[in-house]
Amino acid sequence: MEKEEKNKSIGKGIDRIDGILKITGKATYATDYPAKNMAFAVLFKSTIAAGRITSIDAEAAKKSPGVLTVITHENAPKLNVKGGLRGGALLQGPEILFYGQHIGLVVAETFEQATAASHLIKVTYQQEAHQKTDFEHEAKTPVMPKGKELQDFVKGGGKAAVKTAEVTLEAQYETPIEHHHPMEPHSTVAIWEGDHVTLYNGSQIINGAQTAAAATLNLKPEQVRIVSPYIGGGFGSKGGQWANLVLCAVAAKVVKRPVKLALSRQQMFNSVGLRQRNIQKITLGATKDGKLNTLAHETISHTAINDEYIEPCGDCSKIMYDAPNALISYRSVPMHVILPTYTRGPGKSTGSFALESAMDELAHKLRMDPIDLRIKNEPKEDPSNGKPWSSRTTVQCLKEGAKAFGWEKRKMEPGVNKIGDDLVGYGVACGTYPARQRDSSAAVKLSLKNGQVFATVEIAASDLGTGTNTILAQTAADGLGIPVSQITMNIGDSSLPPAAGSVGSVGASSFANAVNDACTKITDELLAKSGKQFFVRPTARELMISENIAAFQIRSDSKAPVDADQYSCHSFNANFAEVRINSVTGMIKVTRFLAVTGAGKILNPKTARSQIIGGNVWGIGMALSEESIIDPRYGNFATRSFADYHVPSNLDVGKLDAMFINEIDLVPNKMGVKGIGEVGIVGVAAAIANAVFNATGKRIRNLPITPDKILV
Amino acid sequence: MNPFKFSMAQNQSQAVNMLVSNNSAALLGGGTNLLDLMKEHVAAPTELIDITRLELKTIEKNALGISLGALAKNTDTANHPIIRSDYPLLSKAILAGASAQIRNMATNGGNLLQRTRCSYFYDIAMPCNKREPGSGCAAMEGFNRMHAIFGWSDQCVAVYPSDMAVALSALRASVRVLQQDGSSRNIAFDDFHILPGQHPEKDNSLKHGELITSIEIPENKLAAHSAYVKVRDRNSYAFALVSVAAGLALEGARIGDAHISMGGVAHKPWRALKAEAFLKGKTASTANFRAAAKAEMAAAKPLSHNKFKVEMGINSITNALEMALKG
Ligand SMILES: Cc1cc2nc3c(=O)[nH]c(=O)nc-3n(C[C@H](O)[C@H](O)[C@H](O)COP(=O)(O)OP(=O)(O)OC[C@H]3O[C@@H](n4cnc5c(N)ncnc54)[C@H](O)[C@@H]3O)c2cc1C
Ligand code: SF4
Repeated sequence: MEKEEKNKSIGKGIDRIDGILKITGKATYATDYPAKNMAFAVLFKSTIAAGRITSIDAEAAKKSPGVLTVITHENAPKLNVKGGLRGGALLQGPEILFYGQHIGLVVAETFEQATAASHLIKVTYQQEAHQKTDFEHEAKTPVMPKGKELQDFVKGGGKAAVKTAEVTLEAQYETPIEHHHPMEPHSTVAIWEGDHVTLYNGSQIINGAQTAAAATLNLKPEQVRIVSPYIGGGFGSKGGQWANLVLCAVAAKVVKRPVKLALSRQQMFNSVGLRQRNIQKITLGATKDGKLNTLAHETISHTAINDEYIEPCGDCSKIMYDAPNALISYRSVPMHVILPTYTRGPGKSTGSFALESAMDELAHKLRMDPIDLRIKNEPKEDPSNGKPWSSRTTVQCLKEGAKAFGWEKRKMEPGVNKIGDDLVGYGVACGTYPARQRDSSAAVKLSLKNGQVFATVEIAASDLGTGTNTILAQTAADGLGIPVSQITMNIGDSSLPPAAGSVGSVGASSFANAVNDACTKITDELLAKSGKQFFVRPTARELMISENIAAFQIRSDSKAPVDADQYSCHSFNANFAEVRINSVTGMIKVTRFLAVTGAGKILNPKTARSQIIGGNVWGIGMALSEESIIDPRYGNFATRSFADYHVPSNLDVGKLDAMFINEIDLVPNKMGVKGIGEVGIVGVAAAIANAVFNATGKRIRNLPITPDKILV
Repeated sequence: MNPFKFSMAQNQSQAVNMLVSNNSAALLGGGTNLLDLMKEHVAAPTELIDITRLELKTIEKNALGISLGALAKNTDTANHPIIRSDYPLLSKAILAGASAQIRNMATNGGNLLQRTRCSYFYDIAMPCNKREPGSGCAAMEGFNRMHAIFGWSDQCVAVYPSDMAVALSALRASVRVLQQDGSSRNIAFDDFHILPGQHPEKDNSLKHGELITSIEIPENKLAAHSAYVKVRDRNSYAFALVSVAAGLALEGARIGDAHISMGGVAHKPWRALKAEAFLKGKTASTANFRAAAKAEMAAAKPLSHNKFKVEMGINSITNALEMALKG
């Protein structure tokens, strides 16, 4: 047994198989695809938030050097606006629904010519009388959202039960608009051949991009091919696809040439979604010794004026603690702002900031250690639906984390831990994210050359830069009995067997199970083909050699286990933060951060660690610096570049540590993989905000916690 | 970005002549600000005159103090042994700015002439008197958290972003300029950058056709007692909310002369003249430092989103002086 484990690749922290390609610039991202006779498209955008275009004068632009065409709603081909792309802006009419909506594109011989010409376009508008761009104002009159899962969830006596509690806490938490800003801005190369188009485009869901692009272009899915072997990050913004994907195809069709369309960093702010602004009110009722009797989580979020996306901020509150009376509610505020979208840890990262800050506030009020308060309210089963947990690691994460972090050094009294001008504080917060598997297919192709077996694994999976290629190669290596070095991964192409997406932490479980199943199937078929009986089941490699088979391939289709639904399946974590705050300047540094995660089987501890600490870093940004601000007069972003939108710098990030709970949970899927992409950011901002309180005695309930909020 | 002509100047007078013969030409130093402005369509020079070949890269001691070549890189300036030992305040301020990569490209002359980071200035869809005189000031009633609390006008509330210049102001430097007629003039640092007044389109007193050749810093006794405090939204790579360059020329326990300039608070490096005057001849103590800081900040006129800068300014001046005293 031990020997067998040693030979396994899964569970080993091997380097990324495509790491060298990436650092040497050989990995081909969307705009790296060369094409003969490429033309370049540049989008131009509305400079009002609500109203209609009354005229577009593109004459000067059309005459500008190198310009091939200018496409606006006046001459754009008819597209299906309900094809499944997000955010509209498909140039199908003069209506303007948000500031920065695409209103046209210039296609020219060079990028520079297209850019220069785009500045020559003159647009006049008729402004709508009531422009809804002031969240503060609009949030006073929110409406009921349409989504089924967003309707009021009431348990027991709901929020009213708080009246019977010995101790109560009511607090309001605010989070700002945030942007995904992957390193690689959204970009596309479109190449038509007859009535088929190939779109090179970073896509978290390959088949989703294919069907949405096809439907929007009024084509059949098989007429559209998405190629996306490498993605420079997405964080949700490349999950659903946006207008730019299809507009690139439209431009290529119009000029009858391959076209490249890349968004600028500034355009990223209003082209590909955002994390919406939320106001969250938490009401807690408890006994004097800390047993919760009521938990209410009421959220108000903005959404687009004509479409609804609301991140589920109350999700953590539904399942984290055992309270007999609960209310989870959502209200929405339609605004003239681009449609919000899935953003790392959607709902959970923002929701946990509110819930876990409130738990910290309650612990302080009760003079209890916040870890003890959480353990005291640990639910035996899923409090939202009574289902048993497939496994739950919250308490283990808290206990092991506390030990590793040195939690006992935390002072219960805030504001007393000083080093010179600096205040030191410790904070803890928990998080969770659902564990699911989605249908995916995979093909395995084996070949025998000079006594060596080689495999090619094909699956329309996507690798956001997280290491999907690597973990799938490891899965195949173990499933086939051949080394990783003899496996070629072929992913990120809609012509491959269809798969789920790298979204909602379903990627690793869905893809790995599909590959694993394909390996099992090919081994079964080789066995059958051999017609022999074996004591010990041979590997596919051994069979290829013993039966001297030159080439063999299969495809298999995997589905999630049917009984997973009987259980509540989640990843859990506990986050520990140490902050150091300069009491004179108010500047904050996260000096240490530890995330302890129970996420089932960890396929590759190295890439898993990177995932977790990557989530932690964004969490640090969320807590301390990231904020997109809308100027309500215009509806534009007053923060519109990386000079204003502050992602964490190296100096903001201290020592990061990731620990994983050794957990075997085969309920969610056969491989016991729960997914780590989303959970890494959940609870992070709360842990830091709680540490800020512990350091200063100041409870800051609206993110980000910038120096001015510490001082004033 | 619009098409432009690219020219290369081989010597100083050629650079000036090229500039004089084209009213819409611009000099190109490290390009870290100008090229950004061109990409954003804020600046659209028809010609770029590359001056990086000019031999204005030396950093040399002279009878009066030290001379910094206009084309010496920010990094080389900050790391120069004489700057480190005799003018550490300058070194600290430069290193508190931008990123290592940008400092490697940035020239001393270009640094002085970098334009405001007001985000409305950068967004050509927005009204901005600095970019387009007469169009209005979007920041006045808009998002002005980063903006001025001193010296602003009804035309513009922007702040000047350079850290290096805050130290140069405290060091009472001057800017040496080659004029159109071939002669040179020295501009005292206080007069180099100007307040917005009715002409926010002008950041400084340089005329078109003039080339900065060097920055002159007079000798001083501050080396042992100087500090640069920069408060910003993240620990690196962010512009100052408030910054303070402070130096103390001590005479025993008394302050012979206090040098205090602030960044992030005005359209130019803000000489804290009231604080300087208050401290002259007084004992170097925290109480006096705080009183001086309060005296300076009492005249602040914050905008809707930047009231915090007053308290932050008091703390930062006090803190910078304390650090300077400790050495
Ligand atoms: C993301 C980012 C963050 C930054 N953060 C900071 C910060 O925190 N603190 C800070 O201080 N700075 C910061 N900077 C600004 C940086 O310091 C400046 O961009 C840099 O100093 C400009 O120098 P340059 O040589 O590249 O100037 P250029 O862009 O080449 O030129 C700037 C201007 O000066 C003119 N010019 C250049 N040389 C001369 C000369 N010899 N005579 C006359 N005119 C001349 C040019 O015509 C142009 O108008 C940041 C910049 C960026 C992009
Ligand atoms: S503050 Fe100055 S730079 Fe900013 S918008 Fe107003 S005029 Fe323009």
